[in-house]
Amino acid sequence: MKFGYVSCLPETPLITRFVEELKNNRLMGTKCEKCGAKYLPPRAHCKCGSADIKWYEAPRRGKILTYTTVVVPPESMSKYAPYIVAVVELEDKTRLLAQLTGVTLNTLRVGMPVQVITRRVGADRIVYEFKLV
Amino acid sequence: MTQKVGIVGIGHAKFGKRTDATLRELAYEAVTRALEDAKINVKDIDASVIGVACEEFAAQVSPAVLVNDYVGMGNKPVFRAEAACATGSAAIQAAWSLVKAGLVDVVLVVGAETMTHLGTLKATDVIARAGDTRWEYPFGATFPSFYAMMAEAHMHEYGTTREQLSMVSVKNHMYGAMNPYAHIQKAITLEEAMKSSMICYPLNLYDCCLISDGAAAVVLANEEKAKKISDTPIWLKGLGAASDTMMISERETLTELRATKIAAKKAYGMAGITSREVDVAVVHDCFTIGEIMAYEDLGFCKKGKGGKFIEEKQSYIGGKTPVNTDGGLKSKGHPLGATGVSMTIEITKQLRGEAGKRQVNGAEIGLSHNVGQIGQYCFVHIYSR
Repeated sequence: MKFGYVSCLPETPLITRFVEELKNNRLMGTKCEKCGAKYLPPRAHCKCGSADIKWYEAPRRGKILTYTTVVVPPESMSKYAPYIVAVVELEDKTRLLAQLTGVTLNTLRVGMPVQVITRRVGADRIVYEFKLV
Repeated sequence: MTQKVGIVGIGHAKFGKRTDATLRELAYEAVTRALEDAKINVKDIDASVIGVACEEFAAQVSPAVLVNDYVGMGNKPVFRAEAACATGSAAIQAAWSLVKAGLVDVVLVVGAETMTHLGTLKATDVIARAGDTRWEYPFGATFPSFYAMMAEAHMHEYGTTREQLSMVSVKNHMYGAMNPYAHIQKAITLEEAMKSSMICYPLNLYDCCLISDGAAAVVLANEEKAKKISDTPIWLKGLGAASDTMMISERETLTELRATKIAAKKAYGMAGITSREVDVAVVHDCFTIGEIMAYEDLGFCKKGKGGKFIEEKQSYIGGKTPVNTDGGLKSKGHPLGATGVSMTIEITKQLRGEAGKRQVNGAEIGLSHNVGQIGQYCFVHIYSR
């Protein structure tokens, strides 16, 4: 199963593991065992230089920091447009970008509470996305 | 080693939808004009730094060699610079470093890009892959969408309005209409700007820069050569550069470009000036919110007051700091690799007093601000007569 509405990178062990957990409704980040930095989405290596990382389950609730409606999409996303893209701050202060679904733009406001959910796209694709709580 | 580095030649190709030329011919157009301006021959050049942002736009791998060879540089050393939308300014900093280090005396900088042949949706797709292709591109995030999210955050935090965004566009189109090299040479009204079609809310068509073809070239020389070549060399007095996180979600703030603040601080410090002493500036208005954040991050006004700055016409000629007197990316166009070099050309013209109807009278100190992506790259240059 591939990650994203569209993708252009190979399915490496990191993304494969992430997707396996996402299938079971678990949103996984990584944490550096050396300096404690947390990464969501996950990284295989820390910015401190360490490769000593452990997976952790990220919180699923947060609030909207900002958003936009993409009316003119990239060519590869044409069939999905228009769609809303948002940046959300989760309860542990990590931040995540994804699409926000099930709302209209005129009801959206910065600061609204959202949850992160798993969405299947067609037969062989998967993403996480935001939904208003 | 202590020699200054001066700009001694400038040449601008017409920006626009250039179905009459490919990358090589556009570069030739700019280089020929730069050599004519400097009154030198290509044989007088020691090396070139060529800025082309993207192979997919150029439809050519190793585009710098193509340009270097086409303009007649023979066996001279050629370097390629790439810094997304800030490619041209990266090329200028690299060229400055070659001269400053004493490796060469005279260097040719060319910025060039051909984009329109791909069409809007395909070009948007290519540029979207300057977002993180693992975690951002797969959600359909585009560059207009990144700036739109910064605009929404700025509007929410500081009360900046869509009308103020449109005012930036009105100003830049007014000056672009006076620039013979601009892609769109047409003044617009505030109403036209505000009613244009939505691209990524809150940014509409007139909040977004153009997809253009174009090239620009400058010749840099060390102090000794510069004084021989030119009666009016323009000196690069301060250079700053900075970077930032690849992903927007890792930014601590969405209402400023931190790389701009860091690069500006370095450039002001090196030049020994403050923002108040800048007589004319060109800033990275790929989207209108970009220009508003630049006013603030470069110190032309306080944080959060960028909207008021344009509303009070402080960035017009006659205002506190005239900005984008060449029409900016908005009206002049934004052929990625050419943009930074084009910025240097506008400031050089202004400081030489050759900007015609767009001239800021008595301008002595100029600034250029060139951003790659959403501040993943930033270059700030300070110039003086």
